Amino acid sequence: MTTFANKTQTAPKPGRSLITKLNMGTGLVVGIVSAEVMYWLSKSWFDINEAAEINKILTLSMFAWCIGFLVGIGAFIGPFRWLIGKDLTAEEHLYMAGEGQGISRYFKYCTDHKVVGIQYLVGVMTMLGVGGAMAMMIRTNLIQPGSRLVTPEIYNSLVGLHGITMIIALIVVSTGPFGNFILPIMIGARDMAFPRLNALSWWLLFTAIITLCSAWFFGGIPTGWTAYAPLSVQAGPGMNAFIVAIIIFAISSAIAGANITTTVVTMRAKGMNLTRIPIFVIGATISVAMAIPAFPTFMASQIMAAFDRTIGTGFYDANVGGSGWLYAHLFWIMGHPEVYVILIPGVAVLLEIAPVFVRKPLFSVNSAILGFAGIAGLSFLVWAHHMYISGWSPSLNGPFMVTTEMISIPTGLIFLVLLGTLWRGKPWLKLPMLGVYAFIWNFLIGGVTGIYLSDVPADDYLHGSMFVTAHFHYTLMGAALTGAIAGLAFWFPKMTGRMLHERAGYISFWMVQIGFNLIFLGMFAAGSQGQPRRVADYAQTFATSDLISTIGAYLTGTGMLVLLWAVIHSWRNGKIAPTNPWGSKTLEWTVPYPIPLENFHETPVVTSDGYGYGRSN
Amino acid sequence: MITSDSLPPSIGDRTRKFIKRHDVRMSFLYGSFFTLLFIFLGLSFYPKFMPKIMSEQMQNGKEVIVYFTVISAPIAGLVLGIALYTFLNRHKGDTPPPDGPAIRTNTPVILVWTVVSSLFCLVAIVWGLVEMNVASSEAAENEPNAIVVEVTGSQWVWNFNYPEYGFSTDKLNLPIDRPVVFRITSVDVNHSFWPVQLGVKVDANRYAVTTARTTPNVLGVIDIKCAELCGLYHAYMESEGEIMTAANFNSWVKAEGGHTA
Repeated sequence: MTTFANKTQTAPKPGRSLITKLNMGTGLVVGIVSAEVMYWLSKSWFDINEAAEINKILTLSMFAWCIGFLVGIGAFIGPFRWLIGKDLTAEEHLYMAGEGQGISRYFKYCTDHKVVGIQYLVGVMTMLGVGGAMAMMIRTNLIQPGSRLVTPEIYNSLVGLHGITMIIALIVVSTGPFGNFILPIMIGARDMAFPRLNALSWWLLFTAIITLCSAWFFGGIPTGWTAYAPLSVQAGPGMNAFIVAIIIFAISSAIAGANITTTVVTMRAKGMNLTRIPIFVIGATISVAMAIPAFPTFMASQIMAAFDRTIGTGFYDANVGGSGWLYAHLFWIMGHPEVYVILIPGVAVLLEIAPVFVRKPLFSVNSAILGFAGIAGLSFLVWAHHMYISGWSPSLNGPFMVTTEMISIPTGLIFLVLLGTLWRGKPWLKLPMLGVYAFIWNFLIGGVTGIYLSDVPADDYLHGSMFVTAHFHYTLMGAALTGAIAGLAFWFPKMTGRMLHERAGYISFWMVQIGFNLIFLGMFAAGSQGQPRRVADYAQTFATSDLISTIGAYLTGTGMLVLLWAVIHSWRNGKIAPTNPWGSKTLEWTVPYPIPLENFHETPVVTSDGYGYGRSN
Repeated sequence: MITSDSLPPSIGDRTRKFIKRHDVRMSFLYGSFFTLLFIFLGLSFYPKFMPKIMSEQMQNGKEVIVYFTVISAPIAGLVLGIALYTFLNRHKGDTPPPDGPAIRTNTPVILVWTVVSSLFCLVAIVWGLVEMNVASSEAAENEPNAIVVEVTGSQWVWNFNYPEYGFSTDKLNLPIDRPVVFRITSVDVNHSFWPVQLGVKVDANRYAVTTARTTPNVLGVIDIKCAELCGLYHAYMESEGEIMTAANFNSWVKAEGGHTA
């Protein structure tokens, strides 16, 4: 296998294999044709004038699109060969890795983990752009009471689509691009454990996103991203897109999770024992490992919702013995681990960055691991704090309050690790390092307000208000997304071979962070004043708080556009990056750009962890 | 021969040396500033944002935020103090800075930190449990002479039924200082019943009855909102009410067509 890397960079010629003919274009064609065929077929089976029948038609068509797309892009060629007792030839294998195919490999079913990483990066940035644009529309509609720029119907759809788009984007924002591109190199692996599954996880996500976007044409998702039943059962045909997208996304994340976990467990370079694994690798692994048990409950909840909507079951219909609380439980059993699935890799990126720029070892790696593990373990025992006021069992509020507040202890350890690393250091305030400081400020606010909300008497007042919205944006955007952007600035030279435009990066950083704090400090105020969340309109009392939020939103949005410009400009014309611009000691900085197909010419041997900075004192 | 130089420095010496260090003093200074800032914000800034406090539940909710802010202020101050000092003490230039001291771990610091954050967590837990316990035992005591209001949410209006007086209406007027028990249900999707100034909130679920208890103790207008997205006009699912004297309440009941005892 090592010989691959030494070959000249010309595309291999696998002869007249079908694989060479397939790409995203054929996938789109086959996918759309499949959906159309399924639509016409099911239209003849079901009556299009009845709501439940429309749901059947659309659900079937959307699944047909997903399967058709994967067939069209060639995802099933390998499994099909196995079915008839053959496998891909060596040339076909090499072709699928995309070596020497230039830009076109990014539009193929490519098994190279670096290509998948870039696909995730571009996909995530697109989703953040779309979700951000919807956030701008939401804030514009809330600029003053009674502005009514959009109808309540469109507003509710914006809220739902913004929510679910951003949640999906943030779940993969660190583990997708960096977990696929950087993580295998960090541990000295030549690729992921299952390269074809790696490609499958990305293209499944792609079909899920397209499905989700189709919701716009069917009346949107008027339920918020939580899609509570029975509201979701009552909702129009756009809801089918949400259901199908979540089912596909759950499969995608399970595949990605199994892949990353297996890679880290089995494919580390010689000498990289458990104490020498970089902290980002540990964080990303814990995150995707949490996703494996968490997302199936989300999938199950949506399958039941689909049955309620199409064939008239009553899982969530109290009239026939079902319960809306069942949905809430299934949703939040996924939902609370899920916020830490988002948070942990973002924090782990920052813990990876801090030692490099402070030139000190990461303080107490064991505390960091214990912190992540503690958060991960506890996060499966706290879900019903989202249901304090739902009335399902007030007597259980106490126990759930106890487990929830206990999360502050492992979270505190993460702060200690960062502070210990900063202590007595003279940090080099490059863009990635600024993210560490932004995280400390934002996550402190997000964390402390989380303790307020975990307390039942305070939650009785604040639940379902803008205060909650502000709290989780501080943790998800202020901490996790900040970590991911810092990670992009940090690894940009390795992923693209060029340096990120520094000045534009700084301008964007300050605009985004100041704007972000304006939005959500304003929203804390609005929530305290008593403004419910997800409202299209509000009373005069909240006018000032909401105006501040909207101004902050424009500042953040503009800052994000500056970052987008910086990324595109630097990717095309940026300064050529040296192999190790930050002087980091982890393995990914030892490989040249362009990174050879199997990363290392010689398999690295690890003799110490990646944090051996510092003079003895 | 043993001289004083060859002995390891005593704890007192080390402490004196530690608190004389510039970075320690400056971090402490910045930390104190942030601590005071957060205490100030918690005590005098935050309460200004709360609407009128018209029940003990609302008072409890406010106190949690105010006192948790005050308790967590020193921890937040410590974190931000150290962070701000290092931020200002940054390395300038285009090459990586020289290496700092290789501090890999410090067991006493980790232990103290863990114990302190656990204590903070314990205070928060005990505080919450005691408050919940007091509230529920008070509610049980008050149950016999409470006024019952049956609240029904439907897309997108609230309906209030007063079984004791035999009428229903879309306004939630209540007599002052008399315990009230809300029995809440929904005829369609989930709603969340939120009489804002009373500081309680419970979901309205279809075919299920949930309960909330409070005792309004201040006269004035209350806003009733829906706190759970319930479809198209969720934002407009609002109602009004008033906490009034017993005499005013009785005449309102009569005007609404109810019968007083």
